[in-house]
Amino acid sequence: MGTVGFWNTVKRGIRQLACRRIYVVAMVIVPVGSALFFLDLLDEGLPLGVPVAVVDLDDSPMSRDVIRSLDAMDVVDIGVEAASYTEAYDLTRRGEIFGFFMIPDDFGKEAVSGRKPTISYYCNMAGYIPGTLSFKGFKTVAVSTSGKMVETVLVSTGMDESGADAVLQPVVIQEHLIGNPWSNYAIYLGNSFIPGVVALMTMLVAAYSIGDEIKCGSSRQWLETARGSIAVAVAGKLFPQAVVFSVIGIFCQSLLYGYMHFPLNGSPLLVVTAMVLLVVASQAFALIFCCIIPNLRLSLSIVSLLGILSFSITGFSFPVQNMYGAVGIFSYIIPLRYYFLIYVDQALNGIPLYYSRWYFAALLTFPVVAMSLLWNLKRACIRSVYVP
Amino acid sequence: MKPCDSIKQRFVELYAVWRREFRIVLGDVGVMVFFFGLPVLYPVVYTLIYNPEVARDIPVAVVDNCRTAGSREFVRMADAAEAISITGYAADLNEARRWMNEKACYGIMVIPEEYSRKIGRGEQAVIPFYVEMSLLLRYRAFLTALTDLSIAAGVQIRQLEGLPSVSPVGNAAIFLGDPTQGFASFVIPGILVLILQQSLILGITMLGGGVAERRRLYGGRDPLAVKAPAAITVMGKSLCYFTLYIPLIIYILVFIPRMFSLPHYGSVTDVLLFIVPLVFASIFMGMALQRFVRERESSMIMFVFTSVIFLFLSGLTWPRYAMSPLWLWVGDAIPSTWGIEGFVRINSNGAALRQSVQPYLALWFLAIAYFILATASKWMEENRKMK
Repeated sequence: MGTVGFWNTVKRGIRQLACRRIYVVAMVIVPVGSALFFLDLLDEGLPLGVPVAVVDLDDSPMSRDVIRSLDAMDVVDIGVEAASYTEAYDLTRRGEIFGFFMIPDDFGKEAVSGRKPTISYYCNMAGYIPGTLSFKGFKTVAVSTSGKMVETVLVSTGMDESGADAVLQPVVIQEHLIGNPWSNYAIYLGNSFIPGVVALMTMLVAAYSIGDEIKCGSSRQWLETARGSIAVAVAGKLFPQAVVFSVIGIFCQSLLYGYMHFPLNGSPLLVVTAMVLLVVASQAFALIFCCIIPNLRLSLSIVSLLGILSFSITGFSFPVQNMYGAVGIFSYIIPLRYYFLIYVDQALNGIPLYYSRWYFAALLTFPVVAMSLLWNLKRACIRSVYVP
Repeated sequence: MKPCDSIKQRFVELYAVWRREFRIVLGDVGVMVFFFGLPVLYPVVYTLIYNPEVARDIPVAVVDNCRTAGSREFVRMADAAEAISITGYAADLNEARRWMNEKACYGIMVIPEEYSRKIGRGEQAVIPFYVEMSLLLRYRAFLTALTDLSIAAGVQIRQLEGLPSVSPVGNAAIFLGDPTQGFASFVIPGILVLILQQSLILGITMLGGGVAERRRLYGGRDPLAVKAPAAITVMGKSLCYFTLYIPLIIYILVFIPRMFSLPHYGSVTDVLLFIVPLVFASIFMGMALQRFVRERESSMIMFVFTSVIFLFLSGLTWPRYAMSPLWLWVGDAIPSTWGIEGFVRINSNGAALRQSVQPYLALWFLAIAYFILATASKWMEENRKMK
C-alpha cells in the first residue's frame, strides 16, 4: 500500500520537475556549468608568472646577475623595471604588479667589502596567492644570492662543495607533501567548491519544491497522492531529485578524478557513496528547515543564507581547528563538512575506511533528524491556505 | 513652455516611482532580509569565521631516531614556532601516520639517527617533514615556519661550532596590503564588496518576482506600478535602492574594517566615491536580471550560487593574470570584479582614487550598459503587456 503511494508521489514529483524550466536550470545547468567553470578556470593548477617589478638602484654586474636569476624563476614574471621605490609602489597600488624586488645603491661594492647590504622585497598580500608566490620567489633568490657568494669564497679557500653547503645550511628540512606533491591549488579548490555547489543546489531545490506545495496550496493533494503519509510524500518527492543530483555529483567526480586526474588514492566506490550521502544529507538539511518553518519564503531564505555560508564555515580554506570554538562548532551541522573530511581521507590520503566511519555516520544522521520533525510539516500541509 | 512642462512632469513621475518603491520595499519582509539582514549580519559572521587570521599551533608529531641533546634542542626550536605545536613523540613513522589518520597531527617530523653525528662532523643533516595537504593554508604556515626554523637552527649550530656568521647579503621581506598576512585581512575587504552587490541583486530580483506574480494575479498589470516611461521607472527605483543603501555602504565599507581592525589605509572619501558606480551597476544589473525571475522565491534558486562564481571571477582567490580571455571577459561584465579590485587597492593598499581609474571607469561603463539593458527589458515587458 505504501509503495503505491510512493510511486505515485514519485511520478507526481517527476512531472513537476519536468514541467518547469527553473528545475532544469537549477539541477543540471548550474552544477555542471559550475564544475566546468572551476575546472577550466583552475586549469593551470598554480598561477605561476606573478607580475612583479625590479628596482635596481645599483645597476652593477653583480646586481644584474641577481636579477637574471630572479628572471629565470617560473613563479615570477618581471614585467617592468621601475626606476625608484616610489614608481614601483605606484605600480603596486595600480594593481599592475603584485610585488617588487629592490637592490640598494652600491650593492655590489658593499657586498664584496663585507658591509652586508640588504636586498628588500615587497609583496602585496592583498592578493593572497600571488603575494605568497612572489614572496617565495623573492626569498629564494635573496637567500641564494647570499649563499652563492659565500660558497664562492669557501670553495676558493679549498673547501669542497658539500662542506660549503654544510656551513651555509647545516640543517635542511625536506618537505614531503602527502597526496598533493605539486601543491596544486586546483586540486584543493576543485575538490571543495564543486561538491559545494552540488550540495547548495540540492538544498535549494529540496526546500523550494516542498515549500512551493504549501505556497500554492497543493500540499493536500500532495499528501493524498502519498495516501496521507508525510514520510511517503517527502520520500517520493525528494527521490527523483536525489537521483538527478547524485548522477550530476558523480559526473562531477568523474571530471575531477577521471578527466583531470586529481588524486584518488582510495576506493572510488567510497567516494561515490559519499557523494550520494552528501546529496541525501543536504536534502535532509533543507527538509529540517522546511519542517521547523513551513513557509517557502522563510525556509528558502534560511537555506540560501546557510548554504552560501557553508562554503566558509566548512573550513576548506581556513582550518576549523583555528576558528573560534564558538564559530567552528557550527561547521559540524553542515553536511558538506563531512563530505569534505571523507574526500580528504578517502580520495586525497587514501587511508582505511575505519578512520572515516564517523563522517559517514554523521551524514546518515541528517535524514534521521529530519524524519523526527516531519509531524510539523504535515500539520502545515493540512492547514495550508493559498496566500499570494 | 511645452518641453519645460514635460521635464517637470518627468521629475514628478520620478519622485512618484521613488516613493512607491520605498513603500513596497519597506513593506516586504522577504526583501528586507536581503536588503538589510544580509548586509548587516554577513560581514560580521564572515569576519568572525576568519578572524583568527592565521593557522597557529598546528599539531606535529616527532619521530626522533637520534635521541640526543641536539635533536631534542631542535624539536624545542620547532615547538617554539608560531605555526607548530609538537603533540608528542611517536615510536616510528607508522605510529605517527596513525596519529595523522586520526587527525591528531597534520605534520610529521623525522629526525634521522645520524642527525647529531652529522652536525658534529660538519656535514649537512637532512630532516624529512611530512605535510598533510588537505588545506593549503596549513601547508603555507608550515612552509614559512620550516624555512625560518632551518635558518635559525643553522645560526645556532654555527655559533656552537664557533663559525662566523655567513651572510654577506641581508634580506628583508615587507608585506604590503595585509601586513599581518592574515586570512581575514586578505579576504574580508573583497567579500564586503561582493556582499553589497549580491544583496542588491537578490533583493531586486525578488522584487521583480513580486511584480511578475502581481501581474499574473491581476490579469497582466501590476496594481502597484506607477505610470511612467520605462527609463523613468528604472531610474526612480534605482534611486530608491541607492538611498536605502547609503547607511549600509558606510556600515559595510567604513565601519566594519575599523571594527575588526582589518586593513583600512585608504581615504574614506575615495572609498565612498569609488563605490557609487558599483552600487548603481549592481542595481541595474539586478533590474536587467528581473526578466528571468517569474516568481519571488525563484530568485534565490537562480542567483545565490552566483556569489561563489563571482568571487572566483573577481580574481580575489584566483588571480586574473592566470585566467583565460573567456573568463576575463565574463569577469569584466560583473560589477564586483572591478569593485573588489578597486576597493581592495584603495582600502588595503592605500591607493588614491586617481590610481584606480581603470576600475572606476569600468564601473561607470557597466552602470550605463546595465541601465540600458534594464530599461530595454522593462520597455519590452510593457509592450508585450499591451498586446
